[in-house]
Amino acid sequence: MKTEIIEIKGNKKLKITGDIDMHTSPELREILLSLIKNSRNQCVCVDFSDVTYIDSSGIATFVEGLKAIRTSGSRLFFYGLPENIMEIFRFSRLDRVFEIYRTFEDAFGI
Amino acid sequence: MKDSFKITIPSHPKFLSIVRSITSKIGEIYGINETIVNDLKLAVDEACTNIIRHAYKGDTTKKIILKYKLSPIQITVILEDNGIKADINKLKGRNLDDIKPGGLGIHFIKRVFDVFMLDEKKKKGNRLILIKHLK
Repeated sequence: MKTEIIEIKGNKKLKITGDIDMHTSPELREILLSLIKNSRNQCVCVDFSDVTYIDSSGIATFVEGLKAIRTSGSRLFFYGLPENIMEIFRFSRLDRVFEIYRTFEDAFGI
Repeated sequence: MKDSFKITIPSHPKFLSIVRSITSKIGEIYGINETIVNDLKLAVDEACTNIIRHAYKGDTTKKIILKYKLSPIQITVILEDNGIKADINKLKGRNLDDIKPGGLGIHFIKRVFDVFMLDEKKKKGNRLILIKHLK
């Protein structure tokens, strides 16, 4: 797994590439929670377009991120989820909990 | 026709990607539908994750044995460890509407495998038997 943080118009974009599993999720957790902590009143958007795999450890990381964002006054959203990843969020009923968009532009209504 | 083979991996999460690759390749070789292969890959990964986390309590120096048995009508995956015995009655995922970290792995295993069984005959550790009917 590789991650890249890009600042776009005052918002933080976290691009993830590769597999998110029990091995890689601790690193992702650290990055995501630190990003949220430093993003007061900003948007944290996660680009899933190059995520190839996610397991329950990865999902748990994002649920933790969601709980953290609720106390930070920021907004967390996801976009670009490949169908196999989207299916896991749907099955876990988390598609109703997370803000999920098709594209970055959709999320901002551009 | 029935094929079978066994692999042993150390109980370190860095080896989970190898298990996923093997499960994917099996799907390819046996012409299993891609959606089912993705579900199998996730389920076997979650079963290994549970062993590392619960049976071995994060000890990365132990062993996990995976046995694959394949026939045109079903795929069987047997996972063995020598860790802390699991209680089948406690192997339940969380309520899916109760949003909190964790508790999804068992759901991912049970959603694809038709049989989810702990072999009570194994004296030390656990033997989890997973069967997916293909026809």
